[in-house]
Amino acid sequence: MDQANNYILEANNISKRYVGVQALSDVSVKIKKGEIKCLAGENGCGKSTFVKIIAGVVSPDSGEIKLNGQTVDLEKFSPIDAINMGIQVIYQDLSLFDHMTVAENIAMNRLVHQNKKFVSKKEVYNIAQTALDRIGVQMDLDAKVQAISIANRQLVAICRALALDAKLLFMDEPTTALTKKEVDRLLSIVLDLKAKGISIVFISHKLDEVLKIADTITVFRDGKLVGECDAGDIDQDKLAYMMTGRSVKYQKYERVNENNDPLIEVAGLSKQRYYDDIHMSVRRGDIIGLTGLLGSGRTELALSLFGLNKPDSGKIYIEGREAQINSPWDAMRFGIGLIPEDRSTQGLLLKKSVNDNIASAMLDKLKTPKGFVDIQKQEEMAEECVRRFGIKTHKIHTKVGTLSGGNQQKTVIAKWASTAPKLFVLDTPTVGVDIGSKAEIYDHIQNFAKNNMGVIMISDEVEEMVANCNRVIVMFDGRKLMEFDEEDMKDPDIARRISVAIEAGEQTVDTAGEVIGGVQ
Amino acid sequence: MHIRKMTGTEKFLLVLIVVYCIIVAAVNPAFLSWETLFDLIRSSAGNMILAMGVLVVMISGGIDVSFPAIALFGGYTATRLMMAWDINNMVFAFAVSIGIGLVLGLINALIIYLLKIEPFIVTLGTASIFHGLMTVLVGTTNIGASKLPTSYTSFGAAKLFSITDSYGAEIGVSVFIIPVILAIAVTWFMLYKTMIGRGIFAMGCSEESAKRAGFNNFHTRLVIYCFAGVLAGIMGIIYVANCNTCNPISLIGTEMSVIAAVVIGGAKMTGGQGTILGTFLGVLIMNLLNSTLVFLGFSASWNNFFIGIILLVSIGATSYQERMKNRKNFIYTE
Repeated sequence: MDQANNYILEANNISKRYVGVQALSDVSVKIKKGEIKCLAGENGCGKSTFVKIIAGVVSPDSGEIKLNGQTVDLEKFSPIDAINMGIQVIYQDLSLFDHMTVAENIAMNRLVHQNKKFVSKKEVYNIAQTALDRIGVQMDLDAKVQAISIANRQLVAICRALALDAKLLFMDEPTTALTKKEVDRLLSIVLDLKAKGISIVFISHKLDEVLKIADTITVFRDGKLVGECDAGDIDQDKLAYMMTGRSVKYQKYERVNENNDPLIEVAGLSKQRYYDDIHMSVRRGDIIGLTGLLGSGRTELALSLFGLNKPDSGKIYIEGREAQINSPWDAMRFGIGLIPEDRSTQGLLLKKSVNDNIASAMLDKLKTPKGFVDIQKQEEMAEECVRRFGIKTHKIHTKVGTLSGGNQQKTVIAKWASTAPKLFVLDTPTVGVDIGSKAEIYDHIQNFAKNNMGVIMISDEVEEMVANCNRVIVMFDGRKLMEFDEEDMKDPDIARRISVAIEAGEQTVDTAGEVIGGVQ
Repeated sequence: MHIRKMTGTEKFLLVLIVVYCIIVAAVNPAFLSWETLFDLIRSSAGNMILAMGVLVVMISGGIDVSFPAIALFGGYTATRLMMAWDINNMVFAFAVSIGIGLVLGLINALIIYLLKIEPFIVTLGTASIFHGLMTVLVGTTNIGASKLPTSYTSFGAAKLFSITDSYGAEIGVSVFIIPVILAIAVTWFMLYKTMIGRGIFAMGCSEESAKRAGFNNFHTRLVIYCFAGVLAGIMGIIYVANCNTCNPISLIGTEMSVIAAVVIGGAKMTGGQGTILGTFLGVLIMNLLNSTLVFLGFSASWNNFFIGIILLVSIGATSYQERMKNRKNFIYTE
């Protein structure tokens, strides 16, 4: 057989320069039919530019692209041509229509592409059902997309691509918002598609998933191809090294504080349907990992500490005194800061500047005697935060929405850190953050604890907790399932023990899968 | 045909209308007559047509406040032309008014596209421009019933069919119902049976996603604002026929009450949502109050008061439900 025909895509010597930035230089990537390739690299490494070029959205300055062995005319290569050749991109935001049904969402792109003038409901259902059958999933075709879980939305987006006869599917960070179980289901569907001869390119930060499923891995750094290998030939450490160009070893945290009085103590806290009889104590200098499946009650518990989800019974003591936390303002007065799960909607004002975002949690400290905001003081403070937290932005007046995920998260952390809280609650602080920024964020968190703060860190990543936490609490179904103390955390086998504890919950929850779906 | 379930808003409005009718009928049995129904059909015709245009615009995530100016421009210009050229013919009137509506709608769409300004601001501006242009170019004289071409009077009085009521008077359903049914049917067909309609919903959900799906948002927008313009043009003629007079400053300022009716019917300012049945019920309830509060002994001045209450209660209730649902999922939007 002709060698060229084994490849669905051959991109040779692609270069692209934007004003002032060499986004890609001389990159060559080949993808076989039925291959799962992972495209890895830090933010700004050129991954997205590469995807856009293949999808016909951006045209390269030089290079050659062959699809199915045929060279394409890059002058004329448009998104429509890319779709015709079977190239589909599922963007991170999925680009679904929330108020329309599952069936309409799956069928829409195909109908548009076929240049249909009229819609037949029967045709819409047929297209949707055929696509769902291909991945072997049952779904209510009439459900509005806004009413289904994120995991199912992801599947709708995949079906939409299949309905357009995708032969090469790009998926941008498809697992970010999914639970472990949902990720497993998604990965098994991806393997199924591979068996049907579809090539898939995964763009992901989550290295463990990448290694589990990919055949080959291609790593970009600063617009250059820095590595290409079979997934079997590499481990996480090596991959991280390739992506960042330096050895990323997270510093292991150990508490050294001598003050062992509890900073905050939670006694028998219960909230019907969410969590039950939780006891927990945080000292200054503690970094407590709070983990468990989605629906285990961990986020709900954290929100209660911040006054957003009033518990039914139980008590919270802050520095030995009973505290009533009924609103975020109460929480702030008691010195509690929360970094929420979804930074873009709950943690940041995306259309506002870095400057305004940092100031937003402490406007009262910036007040002039007449009650106005002291602009000069605000800017000085913002400048200092940008420096201290290494937020990469060329001015403090840049809109936060234009920064990368890692820098957005650093801005949220800077915002709360400048209020100098006593207790910092961080809900999955490194989701969607690249490895380099991750290490910096861990440094900041550990520094908070060294400087007498107490930290509760909700996390899904065992590795993250092993590196940063001196105690870990595993929750399941609203209850505290297990607690690992400081001695446990020194056990070299601790990562496996934590995973087992989380999985222990997972097995029981299999039968009650609805619990997970319901919370979405 | 597959019948969808009624939305919460639609059920609420239907119950409200039934309960209200029962109350009015109990207080004043004179309410329960064919005449009331026929009057309601006639008086709500204009708003019903406008509301369909507003609905389509709102589903796309836009808003149009220029439609009264367009309707007036069309109706007044057509009337003046008929008088000047001595053409006493309703087909001519509709053709001129629809043509004007189409052009003015096109202007709205082009400005929104070219200047990339929000539809609210654009149509706020064009509403003034259209009305100003009309008074300068066409005139400002009030055309009373005596001067109005006679075809208007006969069109306004024409009945689709009529019955004789218990007092021996002849009453009937106005022919206005024909353009209303046409407007509703065309809107339904466009929204649910054509790809343009799907594009309108898609654009209202997310403009960016619609673009990525391959919709041409510019084309979609052209259709939307031209459609709203055409409906306004039709309404302009019906309005003149209904009032039997043509006043160059009427209608202006009525946009908010039509938008209110559409919003009561469940359309959202954020786009992607809204139903024809909801809009129909919204307009119906508004006109029902307008024409029947007198049966309850309220003067006409109470109309706005009750409309406001219904608007806030119905929207407040759905928004509260949504907030509670969100809160269960820990989404805090307030």
